[in-house]
Amino acid sequence: MKLLDEETFKKYKKMGRGAWGKDLALWKTMYMGMLNVFKEEDFTPVVEMMINMFLELPKARKEGKSIIMYPFNYGPEIFYAMDLAPLMQEVFSVGLAPLHINEPYIDVTNEIGYGDTPTLCNAQRPLIGAHMQGAAPVPDLLFFTSTPCNAIAMTYQVFQQLINIPTFNMDLPYWAYDQDNEFYDEKTMDYMIRQTKELVSWLEKEINQKLDEEKFLQTMKLVNEARENVMEFNELLKNVPCPMPSIAGFGNYLAMVTRGGTPDAVKVTKYLRDEAAQNVKNGIAGVPDEKIRIAWPYTHVFFDRDLLTFIEETFQAVVIMDLLGYYPVMPHDVSTVEKCYEGEAIAALDFSMVGTCRGPVEFYVDFVLNYVKEYKIDCVIIPMQFACKHAYAITRIAAEAVREQLGIPTLIFGCDPYDSREVSSETIRERISEFLTQVVI
Amino acid sequence: MTVMEKLSQALPLANPWIESWRSEGKKVLGYFCTYIPEEIIYAADILPVRVRARTCGAGDTPMGDAYMTPTACSYTRCCLELANQNQYDFLDGIVSCNSCDQIRRLYDNIRYKAPFPYHYIMGVPGCVSDTTHEWFGHELTKFKENLEKNFEVTISDDKLKKAIQVYNKSRTLLKEIYELRKRDNPPITGTDVLNIISAGISMPRDQFNDLLTQQLQELKEKDGISDYRARIMIVGSMLDEPEYMKVIEDLGGLVVTDSQCLGTRYFWDLIDENKNPINAIGERYLSKISCPRMTGKYTEREDFMVKLIKEFNVDGVILQRMKFCILWWAEIFLLRNRLKEEGIPFLELEREYILSGAGAMKTRVQTFMEILEAR
Repeated sequence: MKLLDEETFKKYKKMGRGAWGKDLALWKTMYMGMLNVFKEEDFTPVVEMMINMFLELPKARKEGKSIIMYPFNYGPEIFYAMDLAPLMQEVFSVGLAPLHINEPYIDVTNEIGYGDTPTLCNAQRPLIGAHMQGAAPVPDLLFFTSTPCNAIAMTYQVFQQLINIPTFNMDLPYWAYDQDNEFYDEKTMDYMIRQTKELVSWLEKEINQKLDEEKFLQTMKLVNEARENVMEFNELLKNVPCPMPSIAGFGNYLAMVTRGGTPDAVKVTKYLRDEAAQNVKNGIAGVPDEKIRIAWPYTHVFFDRDLLTFIEETFQAVVIMDLLGYYPVMPHDVSTVEKCYEGEAIAALDFSMVGTCRGPVEFYVDFVLNYVKEYKIDCVIIPMQFACKHAYAITRIAAEAVREQLGIPTLIFGCDPYDSREVSSETIRERISEFLTQVVI
Repeated sequence: MTVMEKLSQALPLANPWIESWRSEGKKVLGYFCTYIPEEIIYAADILPVRVRARTCGAGDTPMGDAYMTPTACSYTRCCLELANQNQYDFLDGIVSCNSCDQIRRLYDNIRYKAPFPYHYIMGVPGCVSDTTHEWFGHELTKFKENLEKNFEVTISDDKLKKAIQVYNKSRTLLKEIYELRKRDNPPITGTDVLNIISAGISMPRDQFNDLLTQQLQELKEKDGISDYRARIMIVGSMLDEPEYMKVIEDLGGLVVTDSQCLGTRYFWDLIDENKNPINAIGERYLSKISCPRMTGKYTEREDFMVKLIKEFNVDGVILQRMKFCILWWAEIFLLRNRLKEEGIPFLELEREYILSGAGAMKTRVQTFMEILEAR
């Protein structure tokens, strides 16, 4: 294990000094907090990428670059190609959850009457509370999509009204599931390509800068390279024992959603792929003496950093990957600018959670069935966010399909991955333990 | 029998109007949202009926709780419950859209747990642009073709134009009724208006238009209501339970206008009868006074609310939202600010689909009335 050495730690600490701006105060607190946490942990390229990501915003402010805020279900490569500073909003809720700093902002949203935990997802809701406290970054531009969920569309819409900045909304189409239809029909592709071009035109107008096509091509080549690494990594996880520990796949998602299109994402995905390949070659398991392989087709419980370790150590069980870590975007033809637009259109449709949840239940059920079959899964665990209406209301159908077609049991329980006060770590561990000991083993 | 009594016959789920339609061997399709273009269904000589679930007992929904989950809105839980109890056996199928996460998942759960002979879901864009208009036209055409194929009918442009005229007539008549509500002494209560609209979505539209014409004539000649304490506007989502209106009106709040799914947002905007019918339908549904699901249109909705407040001389607004409704909680959060800016008193009510706990609601509405009277 390679720890963050004292010299590098000091270097990063120094880089974090100085005024970041009032609205980046919380961002700075997160940076410093994470730096301290990472000091005690393995200093992997994933950690390095996260640290650099935090430094991007104050740097952008100094350089006069526009900051664009966007949600967790869209890749930032076009933003990087346009020389913007992308800020994936949910880094806040995910990053603050284990530090239990989400809770005060959730309380603020309760006080000001912006939803409650079972109604509006706390992946986005704390943003409104933080904004009311002057603690949320105020971006220059805002981008969001119509799916995978209403919570994104609504909270971003509210944020847009509150801060009154230029905003672009992309419609990700929903369509009926029909085995006779091609997955990407001509109309759908045309629709998405046109919207992607409209996004670029909008950005060009807002920042008064034309898209540099050469840079776009280079960015798309980088994102493609990273996608190839992720695909290989996902294949390697099919090995028994699984060559990587439970949290590993999430690193790929972080790379693609925050740094997609940059050398950082290539470095992280390559590192993860190489680690997995090396472990397969050397017969090393991510969880020693692996006994149980778990499918986790929803997000992690972000407030409990040690939950996966608990499952690994107590039950010799490995969580293969979570729903976000399942990044299924395939590499695309990047030979021309036009082909790059096509690739980005497909990426928007397939992105983590979007591909599985934007359409009818069959999208999700087929995903879970394939996941269970291909990864030789022993059981499924779904820690459902109370407010996640689009996913919560199909998990039972998925669980029944998995049981009836494959004889594999599923545990579904409600919780709030961003707020430990709803269902505690202890309760979650108890439920998982009972399931694993009484049903699975 | 009065016109209102005839209309009231259409209020139960399976009503004589639907039975009569079916006795002619014709089909009935249930739909779930104001974004479903009834005109296309009607042009296929199929009766579109908006799915309601008021007979869902005391709101107990074990099936809905299990599959939609307890944190889904009670409308969707009640619908799944009734579908599972075969209470919609007068329907030959259902048509839905991605209006909200809960509605689209209701469609999925019905298909799996309480299926009908026919299911269709269409994609409605979440924002409006030239690109989304074109896409929606494509979706409407796919829907039309699917109906033609499954029900072995031809939906010609002439049939579509005729259906558009029929539905536009309803819209025009309803608007005329709303015009009468602007009077100092409106001739009709909000409860009756809700019942009229609920009847309209549950019976053949030509017959509804005949009754509506008669009703309008009666109202024009009727003495108005003068013994009210305040003029109220209701803003919110799907509400077809007249008991909610009745609680408000029994306490002296006369509901004179609204911005609701079963209210202005359903009928306010006409379809252009001179354009290609599919294009015209698409334009109307994407540009109509929108639901909060349509992003980028908030200011338009807010302005529409304020416009109605002024035109109908509203004293106070009741913002109603169903428990666990993502769209309306976010929307109401923003609307509050505008109402404060405009100096319009408002009351926010969280409700379930089926009225329960009327006592608590009465207390809050009573207090609101006193506040309005004291102004």
